[in-house]
Amino acid sequence: MTALSVALLIPWVVGVALLVMDGRRRSIRWIAVGALGATLVALGAVAADVLRAGPIVVTTGNWPLGVGITLRADALGVTFALLSVAMLTAAVTHEAFDHIAEREFPGLVLLLAAGLIGTFLTGDIFNFYVFFELALAASYVLAIYGRTPRVLGAGLVFTAVNLLGTFVFLLSVASIYRVTGTLDMSRIADRMAVADPNAAILIAVGFFVAFSVKLGLFPFHFWLPTVYAAARPAVAAILSGSLANIGAYGLLRFGAGLLPRELELAGGALIVIGVASIVYGGVLAVSRRTGTEMLAYSAIGQVGYVLVAIGVGGPVAFAAAILYTVVNAANKTMLFLTTQQRGALVGGLFAVGALSIAGVPPAVGFIGKLEVFRAVMGQPALLLIVVLGSLLSFVYAFQIYQFEHWRPEPPTARSGEGWWRARIVPISLGGLILALGVWPEPLLALSAAAAGALTGVAR
Amino acid sequence: MNLVFALAAAALFGVGAFLVLHRDLVRLVLGVVVISQSAVLTLLAASLERGAAPIYPLPEGGVSDPLSQAMALTAIVIGMAVTALLLVLVLRVAVAFHSEELEEVAETELALDARSEEVHARAHADEDAAAG
Repeated sequence: MTALSVALLIPWVVGVALLVMDGRRRSIRWIAVGALGATLVALGAVAADVLRAGPIVVTTGNWPLGVGITLRADALGVTFALLSVAMLTAAVTHEAFDHIAEREFPGLVLLLAAGLIGTFLTGDIFNFYVFFELALAASYVLAIYGRTPRVLGAGLVFTAVNLLGTFVFLLSVASIYRVTGTLDMSRIADRMAVADPNAAILIAVGFFVAFSVKLGLFPFHFWLPTVYAAARPAVAAILSGSLANIGAYGLLRFGAGLLPRELELAGGALIVIGVASIVYGGVLAVSRRTGTEMLAYSAIGQVGYVLVAIGVGGPVAFAAAILYTVVNAANKTMLFLTTQQRGALVGGLFAVGALSIAGVPPAVGFIGKLEVFRAVMGQPALLLIVVLGSLLSFVYAFQIYQFEHWRPEPPTARSGEGWWRARIVPISLGGLILALGVWPEPLLALSAAAAGALTGVAR
Repeated sequence: MNLVFALAAAALFGVGAFLVLHRDLVRLVLGVVVISQSAVLTLLAASLERGAAPIYPLPEGGVSDPLSQAMALTAIVIGMAVTALLLVLVLRVAVAFHSEELEEVAETELALDARSEEVHARAHADEDAAAG
């Protein structure tokens, strides 16, 4: 219970404090990294508690239960919080080893962490909106990190589109309050089961649009390639590895957790949109000639698998969706961090990431694909699409490998002690991807527990 | 009353969407503001009961739902903060591109993209020659 409050307070307080200090100074960067590390430890303690003894519920401000805002940590929320903060820590550590160009970068990353943790560990949908906005506001400023004209143009698109997405979300929150008379997630789940189907479908569509914009699914993807390709490597890693998780979490929590009847009804439509994402992202990624653009379109394709799994439904498919989100976040964080580096070692890391995207053992992407296969086992057509998508990912990933890594290393690349410092984080992430691929049991158990928490709420 | 609220919120959303689709960046910001007001109005309209202001001592009869008003207030504050952020961003873009017309911004961006593509193509020219 205290660990939950600590995990939320550390990044919040330290983030606000660091915003007024000059983040380019060496000491400030390492304070930020240390605070994120401490947050990870606290989240680990919460996760251990949750997995052992079930969900933790804290009502803020000592209000009686049912009146105050509740923080609620269950296996699903804790999994996503751990994943997002771990990827944030990796990205900010990488940037701290390199150099930090803007003074507010460390503070903003911490506030983003606070927003993400709050979003994943709340039991109240309006509180979800507030933390969602906190995370997004921090990311709007992070998106223009570097301040070149190209980044500014992309940042404007990112901010405008995501603001519209959050207002659509807010409209659905208002409707859900009108229909159920409560903002508490567990009571909404009970009362939506007997609500007017027409209203429920409208609400579900609103949530779906809001989270699809966040995730960059096919018809809502238009902002994504511009932003990911223009951003600096660390920021692209943060946006795709941490922030995009809100979309997957929202679809799982609001779809499978709060509106299971509507999710079942829309299952076919979700599968169609997911397949469209897989094919569209794959085909366009094949046509790209630079690493960042390939990764941006690949991100659109990869979330398609998550949506297909959610559309199929059931504990196995939800576990596959969660596992795939974890795998995809790790892949994208590592690959985006290495986009501007060259050399034999980085080439090897890129190959590991490419194998993971394509789903080839021993990388962890294989486990992700395997679980998606298990989820769609009954439908041969879907099975075919998933295989086709994997083939496309194999082609585009190794095409970029050929374009960018099969060429002589620039002569300046191998000088000085900066060489190791710029590569230590990607190397660790690559090691993690291989290690989880060889020994996936903890990850499988975690995603199964998270899916269990979800289907438990639904009933 | 519900119908009035619904029509007003829908009209606001429509006006906002129309403004967002304009090429002028300041109108884009105004459109986002109007859409946020549509969401705030919907939050107010979602209140479960209507009546006097919910201030102690409570008056005779029903009071209006304080929760939806609290939500609307929160949404207004957040909306104001992100609008300020968006305005600053538009200012930055206008300064960087010497224009606040989306079309000119896009043209400048296309020129930048074409230049980087050219550099890239030159870098890969040897490989293309080898492949062709």
